[in-house]
Amino acid sequence: MRLRIASKLRKYEAVGVITVRHQLAYVTDFILRSLFLLLILYVFIQLWSAAYAGDTEAVIAGFTLQQIVWYLVFTESLTMASPRVAEKVEAEVKQGDIATRLLRPLSYIGYHLAAYLGEAALRFFVHLAVGSLIAWLFVGPPDFGLGLGALALLAPGSFIVAFLLLMTVALCAFWVEETRGLEFVLQKLKFTVGGMLLPLEMMPDWLQSICAWLPFQAVLYVPARMAVSYDAELLRTYLLIQWGWVAALGVVVMLMYRRGVSKLHVNGG
Amino acid sequence: MNEALQVEGLTKHFRVKRKLPGLGGSLRALWRPSYEDKKAVDGIDLRVERGETVAFLGPNGAGKSTTIKMLTGILHPTSGQAHVLGYDPWRQRTALAYRIGAVFGQKSQLWYHLPPSDSFELMSRVYELDRAVYRQRRDLLIERFELGQYIDTPVRRLSLGERMRCEIAIAFLHRPELLFLDEPTIGLDAIVKQRIRELIAELNREEGTTVFLTSHDPGDIERLCRRAIVIDHGRVIVDEPVERLRRSVLSYKRVVVRLAEEPTELAALPGVETHREAPRVLRLMVDTAAVGMTEVLTELMARYRIEDMTMEDPPMDDVIRAIYQGNSELLEEGGA
Repeated sequence: MRLRIASKLRKYEAVGVITVRHQLAYVTDFILRSLFLLLILYVFIQLWSAAYAGDTEAVIAGFTLQQIVWYLVFTESLTMASPRVAEKVEAEVKQGDIATRLLRPLSYIGYHLAAYLGEAALRFFVHLAVGSLIAWLFVGPPDFGLGLGALALLAPGSFIVAFLLLMTVALCAFWVEETRGLEFVLQKLKFTVGGMLLPLEMMPDWLQSICAWLPFQAVLYVPARMAVSYDAELLRTYLLIQWGWVAALGVVVMLMYRRGVSKLHVNGG
Repeated sequence: MNEALQVEGLTKHFRVKRKLPGLGGSLRALWRPSYEDKKAVDGIDLRVERGETVAFLGPNGAGKSTTIKMLTGILHPTSGQAHVLGYDPWRQRTALAYRIGAVFGQKSQLWYHLPPSDSFELMSRVYELDRAVYRQRRDLLIERFELGQYIDTPVRRLSLGERMRCEIAIAFLHRPELLFLDEPTIGLDAIVKQRIRELIAELNREEGTTVFLTSHDPGDIERLCRRAIVIDHGRVIVDEPVERLRRSVLSYKRVVVRLAEEPTELAALPGVETHREAPRVLRLMVDTAAVGMTEVLTELMARYRIEDMTMEDPPMDDVIRAIYQGNSELLEEGGA
């Protein structure tokens, strides 16, 4: 039984590994994204430096300048690590390539999750390395104690929640012809109420209480906040929040997939 | 159980959105969409024995691909039943997937930037092959399909023929008992087509793989399959041995001859229908069952000065048309 489960898991591991190898061919894409990340971070470092009036000791909503800059490095690295899974699924449904996926003894969602995690992990490390360079230069090293360990613990949950959110949009391709608009809205929600640009503590109380009930914070705010301000007790709560969303969104995605695939009309002959 | 496929009353209807032309039509479709029911497959009955090589033919839109997608469990039927290698393809899709293979000529399963060896490795994991068994099988397929030279070359650098050989070799990796081939030779040159047909035929003979093939190339059917099933408008209209079709319709070859000067009269040869396509171009339909190609060519060369000549199988649409006619004659004969 254990061997059978290991063999099943190994196929998804193989999907993740081959995706990483395939991604390595896109060197130009990596360089362009990294340059873009440098530019964004430079602009934000200037903005925050102005907000803190260059005072490295000042604290705004519980964050020092060093913490807020590293917070941005982590949220940007997580955001830019996200592969374009909604676009891929929509293209597979529209062009009929989904047929070649469904022919394999492999879960369709599992396949995309494995590919997503492989690609996201690679991109995350590249962007984190690039982002760290500029942050280190301007505000010094990330001396946040156990924070970086907490980031490593929370990053997988962050990727999985991000994947499941994208999948709820992507699977709409079974019913509607175009999902780009929905994806745009989802992305902007992550940027705002997900805490990409600002930690949630900097938002008005009423908005914070809404954000607390939404899944978006589990993607960016939770890991980045814990990385720059470690709190053992809060870490447990955050892990529960993240994996709670993984379970809830996982059920939604599976239900959508089952309904969608049973009414699939494969295009392309 | 000796049947690879057992299909009864398989039907698939799609609801297709209808839009009137123009901006008004688009707006109306938004407000009050109207739908039309399209019968892609309309009550197909099939039985295919294990080890058979079956050509599944029909004009574009006849329902071939939809049928294959239902038999592989990808599409759910509107009604009807099917057993594929004893499995219900819709309830047991994953279990069935371990025992069937498929190649869609227009959809690649190879990773574009990576060498085919990586795709072999991935598939070995996907089908949960034992490592030693996998290596032995991979080496055998590399040898048989002559992939050694480019197995480690990124797919993007391979020719279409090389790529298709890899696609088919990978489809055989897990020793499928039933292989669905959807236009496997599309876009390939004559030599590569022939080699691919030979390889599939060899594996069918040696491993007893059932082959279910759709193609627009009469050569695929003639040289690979022993039985042909023709569908149109979602229904089976012909189901008979290829040998019989060969005698009736597949025996025709199309010869186009460009002459050095305009002929004064057209040669009347037995078993040959001659048409003038242009003042100096003749198109001949040669029934090789009635007259040998050597005789026809000798006669042509004796009568005309030839500048250029091509010989090919008639297009699939012509073959199907001929099958319809032959079928109606057969039906008439049967009724008489």
